[in-house]
Amino acid sequence: MGLGLLASRTLKSSRILHSQYSRFRPIVTQSELQSPDASSAAAAAPQPETTPSPPKKPVGGARIHFTNPDDAIEVFVDGFPVKIPKGMTVLQACEIAGVDIPRFCYHNRLSIAGNCRMCLVEVEKSPKPVASCAMPALPGMKIKTDTPLAKKAREGVMEFLLMNHPLDCPICDQGGECDLQDQSMAFGSDRGRFTEMKRSVVDKNLGPLVKTVMTRCIQCTRCVRFATEVAGVQDLGMLGRGSGEEIGTYVEKLMTSELSGNVIDICPVGALTSKPFAFKARNWELKGTETIDVTDAVGSNIQIDSRGPEVMRILPRLNEDINEEWISDKTRFCYDGLKRQRLNDPMIRGAHGRFKAVSWRDALAVVAEVALHVKPEEIVGIAGQLSDAESMMALKDLLNRMGSNNVWCEGTGTNPSADLRYRYLMNSSIAGLEKADVFLLVGTQPRYEAAMINARIRKTVRASNAKVGYIGPPADFNYDYQHLGVGPKTLIEIAEGRHSFCSAILNAKNPAIIVGSGLFEREDKDAIFYAAETIAKNGNVIRPDWSGFNVLLLSAAQAAALDLGLVPESSNSIESAKFLYLMGADNVNLDKVPADAFVVYQGHHGDRSVYRANVILPSAAYSEKEGTYENTEGRTLQTLPAVPTVGDARDDWKIIRALSEVSRICLPYDTLGSLRSRMRTVAPNLLHLDEIEPATFGPSMSIDCTQEINLTPFKAAVENFYMTNSVTRASKIMAQCSAMLLKE
Amino acid sequence: MAWRSQLSRNLKELRILFCQTSPSSASARSFVEQNYKDLKTLNPKFPILIRECRGIEPQIWARYDMGVERGIRLEGLTEPQILKALEDLVKAGWFFNGRLSIWFQANIEDVRQLQYD
Repeated sequence: MGLGLLASRTLKSSRILHSQYSRFRPIVTQSELQSPDASSAAAAAPQPETTPSPPKKPVGGARIHFTNPDDAIEVFVDGFPVKIPKGMTVLQACEIAGVDIPRFCYHNRLSIAGNCRMCLVEVEKSPKPVASCAMPALPGMKIKTDTPLAKKAREGVMEFLLMNHPLDCPICDQGGECDLQDQSMAFGSDRGRFTEMKRSVVDKNLGPLVKTVMTRCIQCTRCVRFATEVAGVQDLGMLGRGSGEEIGTYVEKLMTSELSGNVIDICPVGALTSKPFAFKARNWELKGTETIDVTDAVGSNIQIDSRGPEVMRILPRLNEDINEEWISDKTRFCYDGLKRQRLNDPMIRGAHGRFKAVSWRDALAVVAEVALHVKPEEIVGIAGQLSDAESMMALKDLLNRMGSNNVWCEGTGTNPSADLRYRYLMNSSIAGLEKADVFLLVGTQPRYEAAMINARIRKTVRASNAKVGYIGPPADFNYDYQHLGVGPKTLIEIAEGRHSFCSAILNAKNPAIIVGSGLFEREDKDAIFYAAETIAKNGNVIRPDWSGFNVLLLSAAQAAALDLGLVPESSNSIESAKFLYLMGADNVNLDKVPADAFVVYQGHHGDRSVYRANVILPSAAYSEKEGTYENTEGRTLQTLPAVPTVGDARDDWKIIRALSEVSRICLPYDTLGSLRSRMRTVAPNLLHLDEIEPATFGPSMSIDCTQEINLTPFKAAVENFYMTNSVTRASKIMAQCSAMLLKE
Repeated sequence: MAWRSQLSRNLKELRILFCQTSPSSASARSFVEQNYKDLKTLNPKFPILIRECRGIEPQIWARYDMGVERGIRLEGLTEPQILKALEDLVKAGWFFNGRLSIWFQANIEDVRQLQYD
């Protein structure tokens, strides 16, 4: 953080100033030191009027976009002129000028509270220092951030904040990344005058994720504002007045939001910390790896903090296009699942139904032997929710070369339409949803399927009063919505223009239709998609400047799988399979697999499909491998290995490559680079990292659908938000969450 | 034009790759626009994968049985030429779709030493 840097700079300069005392400084109390006025006057005195240092760069590389150049105003920050748009606050102007103002309550994604008073600065002609976070910048304003008055004000505020703050930094989990700690080093006084008792506050129970030590709270109200504004739950609030003021739930209640973990990040002190991470590690012992999340199809940018071979915690990484700076609780807390139920050795099921650990050579030999002795059409491969693009490419190539064309990814249905990319991507992009003014959610509950996209919709609804229509089973969204119906009947009505919601779509400037990929599993999905496309065509949803036809995918592998063409040749091949290769597929229904079929499970967790497997090939989880993923908007993202693999596990694509060698098929690549070159001939967009490759064609290319729509209502695609894949099902924290939070 | 309905019989997958904006991909784009609906109607279950990516050369790939693939670069070809290229790919299917290719693959590829790491 910039403040840490500032702190060290301040320390360094003070050391130089008082170098004669640096070695032996006696601890003394003198009457002049008891008064903060004297110390700040002493600090101000030896500094002569020097020429100001050259202009600084904006804090954090901040850029400003002038929507209207006429609205630009000029203010002076520490003597330097800076141009900012009208309506910006003094604090923002200072940031543009490259001056980092200390703050606790101000957060640029939340509303302004102005109650911590830490951001006080001096403004010329103003009699008192002003709270820069709440003061709009006016033309010609002369802001001074580095004057004795401002310093004294900060020192005073700091002293008040520390009055009731416990001195438990050595046992506090925030230690080392605490704003209060950093800022008291940088701006606080070097001694306290406080001799009374500190107040104490009863800790609140916010559930299994957030640990509270309310005595440490400095009443910045960031968590309250986050909960009401971003998470959309009215659970947290401020109780009492004056020194009796405390944060809490009004009645004994858990925080039932799928974004609740973010209050840990925004809390500037150690009042709200992570319960699973409590007393586990210090932040300076951790190694951060910048990677992405695969528990849903959003591909949130995360940082995996590890110590040695263990994942200690997961934090969000800023990406304005995807997750801003939030992540869902599933993303943040599923990591303990990475340590449990892991498969660490290749295993073969013996005659008595028990697994026996064997060497890779033996396991691959057995698999290859069986694969070569079944008919090509009886070979079936299914990729799992968490598969990366490289391994799916290798799996498809291997099975194709064995003569089988039945490869698909779970969740895309038995007859996916992978031809045109608009049919399975979020075409308006996640950030683009903010432009929409009417949403039509068809069979999807974004709150549980993709919490970050739901946060984006909520942001839009809050900002522009966008209208949301929803077709599906009764659901609890955290924004106002209109429940139009439960099934395809309503969809047909809208498509035929008989529904009252049609006028909303027609009158909207940028209508967005979001179709849930849970519908992929329906028999009549072609007809449903055709109806949705009809609405898109009639409602002017797709124009050159706006494409509002969106599909919300459920898992991280789906977009890449469809891009790579993992399309099964026949829709009921699983019933006649003799050799079934499951690459991490745990959500497929294996009841129809014939009893004599040979099932290979390649994956990292002993989950559902292992019960049916004949051979287990252990592979690396997403925290342990480099893999390409494509998120629901078609953006290519990459994971990086944060920790070593468990036991004898290998990367997915390497296992398939080795198997191809044993089965004498020999795939023509043996490095990640050459595998990616192969991907370039199938889906070249998977090589453009962090980019969206928009689909060229829209519903104008769809052929008329003759399928009949089945009128059975839509089902919820995600039953339990906290447990959707093998990692989260193995996680103890996620189990606690689903037990405690879903009950309510 | 009878070969158009043979697509699903001779081929396993057809991939058309092009850039969304570049002029070199213009004919590939209009080829897809003109012919996709027709081909899809004749071969409803057959995957015709249209993949776009900025800055790539337009190309067409056909996958036959046993994972055999043939690709043709479409840069500089006109629409009728692309249609002809596709026809050639479809007609080449009789060769690749025999059991011949099994033998072909198993014997030509050299079996290298296993590398687990």
